[in-house]
Parts: sequence; structure tokens; C-alpha cells
Amino acid sequence: MAFNSVRYILVQGLVSLKRNVWLSLASILTVAVSLILLGSSIIFLANTSTIAKTFESQVQIAVFLDDKLNDGQVTAIQNRIKNLPGIESVTLTTKEQALWDFQESMSTTSLLEDLGGINPFPDKITIVATDPKLVQGIASQVEKISGVESVRYGQGILEKLLAFTNWLRWIGVAVVAAFAFAALLLISLSIKTNVNSREKEIQIMRLVGASNSFVRWPFIIEGLVVGLIGALIAVAAVGFAYTWLLQYIISSLAFIPVVASQQFLLMVFIIMILGGMLMGTLASVISVRKFLRF
Amino acid sequence: MIKLRNVSKIYPNGARALIGVNLKIAKGEFVFLVGPSGAGKSTLIKLLYREEIATRGQVLINNVNLVRLKNSQIPALRRNMGVIFQDFKLLPNKTVFENVAFALQVIGKNKKEVKESTLTVLDLVGLSSKVNAFPAELSGGEQQRVCVARALVNRPGILIADEPTGNLDVDTAWGIVDLLDKINKYGTTVVMATHALQIVEQMNKRVVRVEGGKIIEDKAEEEVRLGI
Ligand SMILES: Nc1ncnc2c1ncn2[C@@H]1O[C@H](COP(=O)(O)OP(=O)(O)O)[C@@H](O)[C@H]1O
Ligand SMILES: [Mg+2]
Repeated sequence: MAFNSVRYILVQGLVSLKRNVWLSLASILTVAVSLILLGSSIIFLANTSTIAKTFESQVQIAVFLDDKLNDGQVTAIQNRIKNLPGIESVTLTTKEQALWDFQESMSTTSLLEDLGGINPFPDKITIVATDPKLVQGIASQVEKISGVESVRYGQGILEKLLAFTNWLRWIGVAVVAAFAFAALLLISLSIKTNVNSREKEIQIMRLVGASNSFVRWPFIIEGLVVGLIGALIAVAAVGFAYTWLLQYIISSLAFIPVVASQQFLLMVFIIMILGGMLMGTLASVISVRKFLRF
Repeated sequence: MIKLRNVSKIYPNGARALIGVNLKIAKGEFVFLVGPSGAGKSTLIKLLYREEIATRGQVLINNVNLVRLKNSQIPALRRNMGVIFQDFKLLPNKTVFENVAFALQVIGKNKKEVKESTLTVLDLVGLSSKVNAFPAELSGGEQQRVCVARALVNRPGILIADEPTGNLDVDTAWGIVDLLDKINKYGTTVVMATHALQIVEQMNKRVVRVEGGKIIEDKAEEEVRLGI
């Protein structure tokens, strides 16, 4: 396309933004609000997923062994467990190790004498499953192995935790989907208003032989600029809010595992900016299509 | 230049606006389309600038069949024709100059060409003194002159007018028709649908009478003059 046309299209796109200043502001605000919601949703989802993963990864199976087993029998049980499906890792804590650890934590050196020379700790095998959903099945299989005294994995609590984290994930996805949809709807509505207010102009352009792309481009530029400005406002808002929230959580609610990496935030911001531009463009394309028979 | 061969137009709602129309208009002719309201005049005109597509038959302009024209080829067609209407279709927030220049800007002409052509054509229609006025500051006749200027600024071979004097009083209407006649004398083919029988009678031009979607009479200039 010739330079004249490019300049005309750019100028028209911007002039119409200025001419319909309230409509443009409304569109920009809509984009900003939508993207704030979208960005927050992504951040919420990422954190939800991290929290869920952290909780899940803390689910382990503790297997306590019979006191009378010899080293060979313990190794055999260990191997049998290793061969079960869905096992991530198997770690043996011998009764000596357990006693030693406990003694360390008590800051004493004479625990065994204090206990009258008898080590009360059993040998313990700690199992981590590849998927927390497999824990229950693994536990019931391990229970049947002879030489296993008892199996603990936080029965009941795990099921509830899994249900909760699953629920959190779905909520996150639903929130993102709902707001992305609402955003698209709102922008396309405000651009459509804009196009309608310029119906006559488009009609005349077509009448005097302007090409379809010539009619369409100013609106696309307009949508793009609206989307971009809206996205920048949203990025600033989300950036400030999240930084503030992070500081608060890290200083006073340190046990909550939050996502604070720079790369993650950068990625969210890029998604928001691209999302804004895409929504603006898409909304204008959809809105002008009615006037152009492709 | 313009040829309609056995053209019928049936609208999606079933209205039969044109039935088996044959019409030939040579380059440089001035043709009035007359007939009662609902006769099919506007429909015929819409077929010419490809706002509507004929249901049957051929609509040829410079030997291009508009029925077969791709949407992407419509701009090229319209750059070679000017169209004016009863309601002027001017942009209220643009000046006279901008309204006319608009037609050149949107087809990618450069600034110098736009300015020169716009001022020339505004001079032709007698609006040199109103270049910076807004449409609301003009009389109906002057507004229609702006539309004529906009239709002509790209120097099209054909000028199509659908009841261009419908909103104007007799004197002003005559001004517009005289202007169209002048343009026709420079070589532009003019097709004008109208109700203004008084004007048609006095102009001594070819008259095509449409009724019920059919051409029921086609009088050449000479026949009109002789009152045949
Ligand atoms: N867009 C349309 N949809 C359906 N019917 C139409 C449409 N335009 C015109 N018609 C019908 O076609 C016939 C011819 O209309 P028109 O071409 O506007 O006549 P004229 O311009 O001579 O008054 C009328 O019966 C009218 O109701
Ligand atoms: Mg009509």
C-alpha cells in the first residue's frame, strides 16, 4: 500500500479516537478492567496451582516395619515397594538413624542411656508417589506385605486436600475463561457503537470505491490502540497491586507458597499486552465485518 | 457502455423489482429513468453500481458482467462511476472541501492531487466560495452540488443519480439538472432516475419509462423533441 494510504489510515484511526473521546475512554477502561481481571486470574491460577502442588508434594506414605526383621528382610521389603507402580522414591530411615535424628533435635547426646538402652524407634520407609491420587492404592498394597507393621499417609485428610486443590484449579480456570469472554464482549460492544456512529462514513467510502482494507484498517488501528492503552493501564495496576500483595504475604503470611518470580510476572504482562491488542483487533474486525461483504 | 440483458431482480423477500429488462446506453448519453414510485428505478440503479446483484440476466458495464464481479473488484468499478442520491449523504463534521477530498483520500491519492482536483471540481459546480463551509451551513441545492462534486472528483465515465432533485424546489432542481447537463457535455454518461416530469419534458433527452419492473417505453432524444 502506498505511503499516502498508510498515513491516511493511521491518521484516521487516531483522529477517530480523539473525535469520539468519551467512547474511546470507555473502551479503554473496559479493556483495562477486563485485562486486570484476566491478569489477576492468571496470577491467581498460578498461585493456586503452586499451592496445590506444594500441598500435594508434601503427601508421603510412612511405612513402619516390624522390629524383628533383619537387614536383608528390610532390603527385600524396600525392593518390593520400589517395584510397585507409581512410585517416585523410596527412602529408608533405620531405627538408628531415627534415634540419631531425634537426639539431634533434642540437643542431647545421651538419649539411648536415658531410654534405658532400648531404641523405641522402628525402621521406617518413606514413599513418595508420582501422583498423589495413587497414594491410597499404594498404601493398601504395602499394608499387605508381611513385615509391615503399619502404614500412615494422613488417611482422610489427603482425600479432602486433593478434592480441595482440584476445586481450586477449576475455579481458577473458570474465572479466567469467564473474564476473557466478558472482555471480548465488552470491547466488541464499544467498537460496534463506534462503527455504528460512523456508518455513513463507511457507506460513502464504499460508494466512492475505497477498498475493503482501506475501510477496515482505521478501525483495526483504533482497536489496536485502544487495546494497547487499556493493556498498559492494566499492567500498571496489576503490577503495583501484586507487588504490594507479595510484600505483605512474604512478610506476614510466609507459610503460603506464592509465585514471585520476575519471569512469571513478565510473562503475565506480555500475555496481557498481547491479549489487549488481540482483543482490540478482533473486536474491530468483527464489528466492521457487517459493513463489508467479504 | 451500459448493457442490461434480460435482467430480473427478485429480492430475498420475494418482491419482483425488475422483470426481463433490456437496456442499452451508449457512451456520452444522457438518460432519464422515469416511472411511478415502486416501479424499480432505484433497483435498476443499484444494479449499475453493484449495490445489488441481478437475480437473472447480465449487467454489463464496459463489457464487464457485474453479476459475475468479485467483491474485491467492486472498488475498481466504483472508481469509474459517480453516484448521487436524494438524501445527500454528506459527512456533517467535514467541510465542503473535506467532503469532496475524502473521495480521493480513501482511494489513496496524494495530497497535491487531492487539493488540485478538489478545488477544480468545486469550481466546476460553482462552490468556490463555500470551500470551508460545513454542510449544515448550505442550502439543499448547494449540498447536492457538493455531492455532484464528490461524485465527479475522480473523473468517472458514468454519473448515476437517483432522484437527485427529490428534496429540492423547482428552481434549485433546475440548477442541478443544468449542472448534470453541463457535465454530460464534457463527455460523462449520465443516468438519472426522477419523478420531475416537468424537467424531463423540457430537457429533450432520452427517456426510459419503467413500470411494474418492466421498461414500457424508451424514447430517444429525437422522438422526445418531435413529441412522437
Ligand atoms: N431492499 C429491498 N428489499 C425488498 N424489496 C425491495 C427492496 N428495495 C426495493 N424493493 C421493492 O422492489 C420494488 C421496486 O422498488 P424501487 O426499485 O425502490 O422502486 P422505485 O425506485 O422506482 O420507487 C418495490 O416493490 C419495492 O418494494
Ligand atoms: Mg427510488
